[in-house]
Amino acid sequence: MSRKRTALVIVSLLAVLVACAPPTPQVIEKEVVVEKPVIETVVVEKQVVVEKPAPVSMVYITAGDVNMLALGQNVLAPEFHAMYPNVTVSVVHTGPGDAGSRLIFEKLKADKDAGRAQGDVDVAMVHQKFMAWAMAENLLLKYADELETWKYMTAADARNALGTNIEGYAMPMFHSQIAIAYNPDLVPDPPRSYEELVEWVKANPGKFGHNGIKGGMSGVGFSIGWIYWKSGNYEKYAVSGPFDEAEVATWEAGLKEMKDFNQYVTITAGNVGTLDALNRGELWMGPVWVDMFYTFMLEGKMDPKMRLTMLEPGMPGQPMYFVIPKNARNPEWAKKWVEYVTSPEVQGKIIIERYNWYPGIDGKFVEGIAPPEAFDRLYKDISPEVLSTYGKSFPLIEYNDAMLEAYEKWVIGG
Amino acid sequence: MRSGSSVANAKSMERKGRGGWLLPFLLLLPAIGLMLALYAYPFASSIYRSFLSSEGTLTLANYAKVRELYLRDVLFSLEVSLLSTAIAAVLSIALAAYLRLASGSIVRLVGAIYRFPIFIPFVVVAQMMGTFLAPHGLLNIFLAQIGLVNLEAPLQLLNWKGLTFGFVWKQAPFMTLIVLSGFGMVDDTYIEAARSVGARLPQVIVRILVPMSRATIAVALILAFTSTVGTFTLPYMLIGGKIPTTLTVDIAHRVTYFGDYGVANALGTLAYLMVIFTAVYYLRYTVRRGIYEYQER
Repeated sequence: MSRKRTALVIVSLLAVLVACAPPTPQVIEKEVVVEKPVIETVVVEKQVVVEKPAPVSMVYITAGDVNMLALGQNVLAPEFHAMYPNVTVSVVHTGPGDAGSRLIFEKLKADKDAGRAQGDVDVAMVHQKFMAWAMAENLLLKYADELETWKYMTAADARNALGTNIEGYAMPMFHSQIAIAYNPDLVPDPPRSYEELVEWVKANPGKFGHNGIKGGMSGVGFSIGWIYWKSGNYEKYAVSGPFDEAEVATWEAGLKEMKDFNQYVTITAGNVGTLDALNRGELWMGPVWVDMFYTFMLEGKMDPKMRLTMLEPGMPGQPMYFVIPKNARNPEWAKKWVEYVTSPEVQGKIIIERYNWYPGIDGKFVEGIAPPEAFDRLYKDISPEVLSTYGKSFPLIEYNDAMLEAYEKWVIGG
Repeated sequence: MRSGSSVANAKSMERKGRGGWLLPFLLLLPAIGLMLALYAYPFASSIYRSFLSSEGTLTLANYAKVRELYLRDVLFSLEVSLLSTAIAAVLSIALAAYLRLASGSIVRLVGAIYRFPIFIPFVVVAQMMGTFLAPHGLLNIFLAQIGLVNLEAPLQLLNWKGLTFGFVWKQAPFMTLIVLSGFGMVDDTYIEAARSVGARLPQVIVRILVPMSRATIAVALILAFTSTVGTFTLPYMLIGGKIPTTLTVDIAHRVTYFGDYGVANALGTLAYLMVIFTAVYYLRYTVRRGIYEYQER
């Protein structure tokens, strides 16, 4: 009796083990025409005309905050599906900041290291730092110059990301900018430069807040803007380079002054921490992402009377890029997707109007298309001229890392 | 206890000459295999990687960087965790004693309600505390309405105080659950005997209930301390980049901005050491004695 029970137990255990074993990856042989980018685009055109309604499943993976997921899942994917009913786009979200882009990089690198002929990801939306990592590992497809919308890309960061040449490998979907949000009732005459801000916080201790360099990019951007101001060396750090180790020591005095400055400010928990504190009236001023600021306002999470300003000599902003992995399963559809999102219609109606980003393509191609209220709202406090003068880039990667470590050493430590 | 009984089973089976050693081995294999693959291997790999530089050579540079930049944060993590665990322990012992010794409908109600925080994930607690404890958050506004606080100079709780409050709020019910089960094992006769020679309530708790449940209380303390040291979401959303911050936020910072797994693993190894030392201390001085006392009965 006990022997039968023993055998029954062993058999059921094995059954459970087998059932729980990971499924063998299926190798799907698809006859989708995967054109190598070397072949002329004439073949692409033909494919559109012949339009076989074979169902296509695309994977679009995006880093960034939850607004990126909402954009992909609720707006772009359904509209794309309406245009091409045989294509379904699945949207995957990896999370905010460079951490989210890091996850995408690790996924693509894992696909490459595993030697897979076709990866899982068709198109990705990533931050600038990703470009350096991915170009070094040769993970990306060169596609941008084949698109209709390439001619609208005039911004310098469409060709260069933090020092890495990316021409043809990426298309910016939008530009986001860091600015100082302030309460006009309590701050009738906001400081116009970092210098005036230093005086202001001494007169109003605790009323300015940022999140330092841990927890959110708005604080990181503010701190980098401080270093740009104190060093006066923006061109070298963000545009021309090269990375010079000796520059780091020159930041010590400026960062020690920031440590002193921080005594008069409130350190918040992150991007949302600053926004919430501004809304509750705990802070009167603080650095925010322009798009998060306006989106919060539209959602009722930010007092509508709050305004924006920029500080001299400038504050950083960044684009996010569309990239297509070299081993994407559906590169042609991926290119169509990018073309669709970078078209002036989508840039005007969705990027500017609904999500309050500055467009990825040149603003003048969008001006007639976006409704005037949306265009005005975005450029009301920060006009295109102010943006072009004071909107800076984040520094080259080596300088970026060095600045973060220098902040830790001289502002946090010591 | 469980492994003890299956070893006893194996022995009895050996004695009866059926199955031998194979069956217990097979029964344990899935569980132990999972533990090895998902805990032991990453644990060992993490410690090993903390000694690797970015080129792959063995080095102490990661620890040097931790000492240069993050020592204060490591100490802060330790202090906050110890403080939270201590406060949660006192509260949980008090609450468990109340639930054990009192009776009535209110006791039953409290007994049902106190468990709710256990089911709330840390990230939700973080969001709650972020809005509740903020300078113009619910708590401060409430205190201002009844005149205890001036809203121009509110209670500043988005620091170690708020962090401790959040940890205690989350860990105390969990510890109460465990400690209550320990108190439940103390027979009523001991309590009645103590009362009959004149022991008052505090003495019953301190001299009878707690010493007889030392093992269970030790387990509760270790579990609470371990999970507090390793928590990321609460410190990240409550204090973020403030100075000092917890070592978990620093780990995230190193990985996110630098991809620096060497220093992240070094910080993690320090967290393991913190947990191991406290666990060993408590286990040596409380559990072993507790088990032997139990077995002597």
